[in-house]
Amino acid sequence: MNAAQRQSAETKFEPLLQFEMEMGTFLSDWHHCDQLSTYMARMISHNRTDPLRHSNFFSSALNELLEVSFRGGLPEGRIGCAVYRHGPKERVKLSFPCPPGQRQFFREAVAKTHRNDAYARYLDALSTDLGPSREAILLDLAINFDAEIRLEEEGPPTITIIVDLPLEVIVS
Amino acid sequence: MSTAMLAAPFQAEFDANSQEFSFAGVIRPRSVDEIAHSISTFRNAIEEARGVLYINVKRLAQMNNTAFHAFSRVVLDACRARSDIRFVVVTSSVVGWTERMFRHLGKIEPQITVEVYDSKFYPGQSFVEDTSFIPILRTQTKMTWRHERKILPRHGMRPGIVMADICCGIGDFAVLVRKEFQPARIVALDHSKASLAYARDVAKNFGISDIEYSYGDASEMLLEDNQFDLVTCRHSLQIFNQPDLLLKELYRICKPGGRVYITNEKNSHCLGEPRAQSIQWTYNEVAKLFSHFEMDVELGPKSRRYLADAGFDDIRVESFMVTNLDGDPQDFADIITAWENVYAGEMAVKRGDPPEFIERFRQGFRDHIFAALHPKGYAGWPIWAASGRKPL
Repeated sequence: MNAAQRQSAETKFEPLLQFEMEMGTFLSDWHHCDQLSTYMARMISHNRTDPLRHSNFFSSALNELLEVSFRGGLPEGRIGCAVYRHGPKERVKLSFPCPPGQRQFFREAVAKTHRNDAYARYLDALSTDLGPSREAILLDLAINFDAEIRLEEEGPPTITIIVDLPLEVIVS
Repeated sequence: MSTAMLAAPFQAEFDANSQEFSFAGVIRPRSVDEIAHSISTFRNAIEEARGVLYINVKRLAQMNNTAFHAFSRVVLDACRARSDIRFVVVTSSVVGWTERMFRHLGKIEPQITVEVYDSKFYPGQSFVEDTSFIPILRTQTKMTWRHERKILPRHGMRPGIVMADICCGIGDFAVLVRKEFQPARIVALDHSKASLAYARDVAKNFGISDIEYSYGDASEMLLEDNQFDLVTCRHSLQIFNQPDLLLKELYRICKPGGRVYITNEKNSHCLGEPRAQSIQWTYNEVAKLFSHFEMDVELGPKSRRYLADAGFDDIRVESFMVTNLDGDPQDFADIITAWENVYAGEMAVKRGDPPEFIERFRQGFRDHIFAALHPKGYAGWPIWAASGRKPL
């Protein structure tokens, strides 16, 4: 996709919902991940073909992203999450302050979701790792939710993960 | 937003009798330590199990990767340590992500198989899911609606309520309720994708966009507790082999003070004149035939007991007779023709009934049609409507 095509596709995504909060507040309670993902999922799913199941799927995916930012984020600055829609896809844009040392990690983790061996890596992580790494979580989104994942590089310290989820197709 | 679900603890239980370990609810721990007790219980269950251990995730609404990874590791480690045991993970087609996530375990270890639970609670579904049955479902709803629109307000229906129509079928009842009573919100749920597709299509054609049609399992619903002022479930308890289990779910999603409304038949009380004896014989046999397939089409008058046993109070029961005098007698006749086709043409054949039985069985339906269309005839189909209030 060239720059003009990408720009055209970008403009077709309609904004649905967004929130912003102090990162320190977000990090003060683990349950914020569950509460925010459940609430946002319900809000954006109401006019999908099957709102209940769409909401269930979306909450699963968004919760994982919020958990990634919870585990990897800095307490200063703000976390922002916006959801957009274009046809059967929802786009989640999640921005959060990330330590400089982790930016490269995220670049590599996202790149691995695009590689041909993504599924083999995911199975390997399931069968050998002691716990789920953030890399495995991104692979989970790509494999189990058919997500397309990329990073939007802004100036430090913020990092933005963009995830396109074709849930309407999966749910229906 | 209800916070009930967010605060609800998850359940992880082992039933030693069925060698089944069940996960239910929302499992989103920050670390494995938070679910250490459940992990330990799971390990003990595996220690105890012989042969096959079932892992039931049908009611698992959410599970984060931390929990999924932890429980998966226990299973995968057990596969490596115990060649004598197999694991069967039972997922639900309704909670779609479980199907997608758990299937990978079978790729890693051949001792693990992943099954999608679907039909155990729906012995009658295949008989009514045929799209040829759809027109008759419309006619049935049209004929019962003449009565139900009058009695529904006595069972909690009023404008502005939040209601759920569970086992909504092709969705006609939800559309009629919406037009007549203007509820604030209607969720209509069914386990037939064909019926839901039809319902959505009809709604779209009529410009209706505010009925939430959802694919769901009435005995294992994703809907949260205590949400609805009125929960309706029509002609469905009678085709479940565990109606008490379904009522438990209807009770759960109903608000305290709200009502659950059910309709059911007593097929042996279908009647007609002339040729009453032949009609009577056939409908007695209908009841026996359904019983063979673990369905109770005699449930109607038992509604009061079922509602009481499920914990409802202020139980109201009434019955009405759909007859050939309600509108066009041909509508009544069309319904009986559809019954004859399904009951005598499919179910009796599947039971293995001999041709002479099937012929006599068919004759009763034909006599019922004759009664319906005869200028001096009378044909009836009795229905019991009942509701109970969930205590405050």
